[in-house]
Amino acid sequence: MEKQTINTEEKPSHRHKKVFVEGPISAAFVGDSIAKHSTKMDIGAHSIFLGQVRKDVIESQEVVAIDYSAYAEMAEEKFHEIREDTFAKYPLTCMHIYHSLGKVNAGEICLFVFTSAIHRREAIDACNEVVERIKQEVPVWGKEIFDNDQHRWKENK
Amino acid sequence: MTIKIVAFGKIADILPQQEWETDGLETAGMLRGQLEAKYPNLKGQRYLIAVDKKIANDDSPLEEHSVVALLPPFSGG
Repeated sequence: MEKQTINTEEKPSHRHKKVFVEGPISAAFVGDSIAKHSTKMDIGAHSIFLGQVRKDVIESQEVVAIDYSAYAEMAEEKFHEIREDTFAKYPLTCMHIYHSLGKVNAGEICLFVFTSAIHRREAIDACNEVVERIKQEVPVWGKEIFDNDQHRWKENK
Repeated sequence: MTIKIVAFGKIADILPQQEWETDGLETAGMLRGQLEAKYPNLKGQRYLIAVDKKIANDDSPLEEHSVVALLPPFSGG
């Protein structure tokens, strides 16, 4: 008989939070995330960044969607590092990061960064810094899909 | 010494496969040289090399079972 193992060990405190979500991030999900903070009475300010897929026109071709892919293992480590650094730098109450993988249509949300603090300045500055670092440091790629099925690999400015 | 190579984004489009194993390479720079000799389309492309999920330079050593990733410019968010 196979020996049954019961895992009673707690995961380490530096737990990796799940960042990637398949497809677009819905407005309802964002709303629910905000609602979940109503019990945290020390929060005085939230800052939220939402990245939306833009219908760019490139050489008369319209972007209809972006197909996101990632080096997931490295990206998760980077997200974790960004979280830890940001918590060390700013007095935040909490932080949530969600990024889409797969196809996100123009007009839909692909990135949701949510920071909360006692006062606005920390929440806003931390949110901005997290967004900038995600764009520069996390191995995620967006393939812009055009209306004629052609594609082009996007590059962050 | 066997290493695993994984390519992403535009670089994966240029190469015939996204993931493969190879051996006989000691540094990240040697891999870059070998790939660019074999796949001329790779020359002039901008990409970083990560060894075991850390951004490497051409002198970075490769070790048995290293996972070497070819990373074109990021475009998340």
